[in-house]
Amino acid sequence: MKRAANGLAAITVALLCLAPFAWQIFSSFQTELGRPSLRNYVAAFQGRPFGQIILNSLVVAAATAACCIAIGASAAFAIAKLEFKGGRALLGASLACSMFPPIATVSPLFLLLRRFGLQDELAGLILPYTTFALPLTIWVLTSFFREIPDELYSAAQVDGCTPFRAFRQIFLPLAGPGIATTAIMVFIFAWNEFIYALTFISSPEKRTIPVAISLFATGQKEPWHEIFAASTIVSVPLLIVTILFQRRIVSGLTAGAVKG
Amino acid sequence: MKMSPAASERYQPYALVAPTVAVLLSVAAYPVLATLWLSLHRLIIVFHDRRFVGLANYASLFGDGRFWSSLGNTCYFAGAAVPAELVLGLLLALLLDSAIRGRSALRAVVLLPWAAPTVISAKIWMYLFNPQSGPIGATVLHGVDWLGTPPYAMWAAILLDIWKTTPFVALLLLAGLQAIPTSVPEAAQVDGASTWRMLWQIKLPLIRRSIVVALLFRTLDAFRVFDSIYVLTQGGPANTTETLSIYTYKTLMKAGDFGYGSTLAVATFLSIVSISLLYLVALRSRIAERA
Amino acid sequence: MLAHRRRWLAAMSLLALGATACRDVGQADSRGQMRLVFKYQPLGPDPAPMRDLLADFERQHRNVEIATEQLPNDADSALQYFLTALEAGADFDVLVVDIIWVPMFARAGWIADLSQEFPAELIRGDFLAGAAEAAIVEGRVFAVPWYTDVGLLYYRTDLVPRAPRTYAELEQFAAEAHRKEPSVQGYLWQGRQYEGLVCNALEAIWGFGGTTETEQLRIDSPAARAGLGYLRSLLRGGVSPSSVQSASEEDSRRVFQSGKAVFMRNWPYAWNEAQAEDSPIRGRVGFAPLPTAKGEPGHGALGGWQLAVNARSPPARRAAATRLVAHLTSVQANLSLATAYGRRPARRAAYQDVSSLPSFDKALYPILQNARPRPLTPYYNLISDALQSEFSAAIVGIREPEQALRRAQQQINRLTAAVQ
Repeated sequence: MKRAANGLAAITVALLCLAPFAWQIFSSFQTELGRPSLRNYVAAFQGRPFGQIILNSLVVAAATAACCIAIGASAAFAIAKLEFKGGRALLGASLACSMFPPIATVSPLFLLLRRFGLQDELAGLILPYTTFALPLTIWVLTSFFREIPDELYSAAQVDGCTPFRAFRQIFLPLAGPGIATTAIMVFIFAWNEFIYALTFISSPEKRTIPVAISLFATGQKEPWHEIFAASTIVSVPLLIVTILFQRRIVSGLTAGAVKG
Repeated sequence: MKMSPAASERYQPYALVAPTVAVLLSVAAYPVLATLWLSLHRLIIVFHDRRFVGLANYASLFGDGRFWSSLGNTCYFAGAAVPAELVLGLLLALLLDSAIRGRSALRAVVLLPWAAPTVISAKIWMYLFNPQSGPIGATVLHGVDWLGTPPYAMWAAILLDIWKTTPFVALLLLAGLQAIPTSVPEAAQVDGASTWRMLWQIKLPLIRRSIVVALLFRTLDAFRVFDSIYVLTQGGPANTTETLSIYTYKTLMKAGDFGYGSTLAVATFLSIVSISLLYLVALRSRIAERA
Repeated sequence: MLAHRRRWLAAMSLLALGATACRDVGQADSRGQMRLVFKYQPLGPDPAPMRDLLADFERQHRNVEIATEQLPNDADSALQYFLTALEAGADFDVLVVDIIWVPMFARAGWIADLSQEFPAELIRGDFLAGAAEAAIVEGRVFAVPWYTDVGLLYYRTDLVPRAPRTYAELEQFAAEAHRKEPSVQGYLWQGRQYEGLVCNALEAIWGFGGTTETEQLRIDSPAARAGLGYLRSLLRGGVSPSSVQSASEEDSRRVFQSGKAVFMRNWPYAWNEAQAEDSPIRGRVGFAPLPTAKGEPGHGALGGWQLAVNARSPPARRAAATRLVAHLTSVQANLSLATAYGRRPARRAAYQDVSSLPSFDKALYPILQNARPRPLTPYYNLISDALQSEFSAAIVGIREPEQALRRAQQQINRLTAAVQ
């Protein structure tokens, strides 16, 4: 009975999520007058290096996620499990950075990136993306590490483990779900970010997807059908990444791991 | 209970934290400090008008009707969207956590609204609200132009945000649910706990950290909302959907008023800080009670 | 020892030479090779004609290489980019500017004074009056008109006998058409809170005889109240559907092009779309000047873009940049952009050429000559923001036109007084 209710709920949820996209996908296979056509998908790649653009977005998003986790996981572990001054202050300070409206940071960051020669470079995007995704990373991972029982750490200490080793060999593997979750969130944030990508990148071959899509409108006409086709195309890598990562979220702690 | 490392290893926590501090200090600190500094100036870049005015901008904030109305709009938006997203997100997370067929497919599908570019989603919803041809616009409130009529424009923005961001909350809470050792619900079932009790007294407290994180970051983002509303209405009609971010954007990037624009950014920041402090205080007392 | 020293010196000098050879792009090296950076918005889906135009220039100037960087078509995004980049001192060479930005960019010192290469009399003589005036600030030329736009009335030739000349006729024709064809909507225009609304509202204000004096920036006038009242009455009376309240140009065009409306106010680009091969209304559309209260041809709002030279572009590249601007705004360039991308030429001479210009543009010439620019002032963005919200309030019915205009005037006075 409960199974059936859950199943029904699942179908309803899936429909609600997908329904608006149905119109997008449907339109993407039509010309403006309603005739079926694959023209939009072809047109998405004409006149612009769309494949390169998708690659740019993949690189930037993946690099941002990797950097965030590399930098943030160790900090989260320290804040959650080790006693030292300033852990809470760091959490608060990073949260404060997240509280600033991004639009106010564009101008100063532009100046900063120009000063260090990172203007119009993908690295010049990865750096601010990582910085502003770090607070979420640290908070999520800290809450994850806090869930992991302290007995594990004390056991490791008895075994003569340094904090570094304990982190790398014990806690990191156990934080799989947290890391997967954070990776997806940061990836999607970097994938869809627009303001920085518009301002910091000017070369056509270095553009990322959101800005490239905004460039589809040439003249005053908005080629919706082409834009929808492009949007459907770029959903594919995103879906793949999401499906790959959500498996990791599934593997939670088992009773065995806790006892060992 | 945190463990103190041995004396020789006392530096190690700081070493673990150092990269984060370095990145935040070098990249985030400059724009934040620059904004704070600019907010103390009168700076309209087109007119080369630049002078130090101290707290005068903040004084003008108090008399600025547009600031108060945009603050009100933002609070209204966040106050409606965040609780809805939290509740729906929790239900969705529980659903995704349960043993139903096609669970992994559902998990990927559910992320789509949030993963799609905001501009595209907003355009799709603009169509949905079209009073002549949109599925919602032509049926609900027949004939009213949602996006061009005052109370409904904001509701449209709120609906879009709920559709778009509930997956984010669900993902956070799901990860928290997944972290609950399976022994706990099993033990509870053995004890004969009902579903309701299982949820309310067992699962919820165990994921309270995830709930706090979700609540904090959702509020943060709701207060800074820009893209979706800007594409839907550009702050209209008649500034009735103008949030703090949109007002800040127009001041900075249309009028070129970097002084007052920075002041607005700082005001947004302070509003969010106040609300976060309220949350943390309220939740801390709740948690202390339980303990 | 000495040989070692000599070798080290040689290596160092080679390095120094190499370093100077790899100077920042855009500088002329010993051979005089230079790289100009041109920031513009793509004009159409096919980049080839524009590329050919630029390649033409490169052929005539063998030492110049042009690098193009594209900006989004959305004027807001482009402005945001320019504000950030120009204030930070970016040194690209040639840029497009919206017709309303020229006084603002000139006052900010971001675009160069071109009066030497393009004297004001030359600009006024060669280009359409409105476009020329928009490029001249206090007697000095800061930009060269590239292409223009004007607000037009489109009408369905199969549903109405002729173009309406007065507002009363518009409503009457729309009612008759509705009787003939109950499913069509009446008059589509843009009422969303954005720059397009200012164009629509000003056209209505001008239609009642109002003027928008640049020096005094007076917006509160009887004509303005009548104009806003008229727009509100269109919505209240049902002549315009409620979707107009949140419509932008593309929203109106899509509905009109699917055959579901009798009248539309829009820019000239909609004509080519309406006459496209697969358009449902192909061959059944006409265009005319906007109607007015008394019946004389209405003034459409002047739109369009101009080319300017970045003031930060170094003197070494300045001459080449100016020549590029001249090339892109020449008669031949005007004509090729008109045929390839449907952009209205800004040069008068282009309209005298009998053969190469599309007939639509030729027919549009009298309407273009009658186009009126929006207030030309460095404060334009400030006042436009105030106007957008108050006009929107009047049109949606939140405030009466008198109150909305009074508030708009107060805000304008306050904003312009504050910045002196």
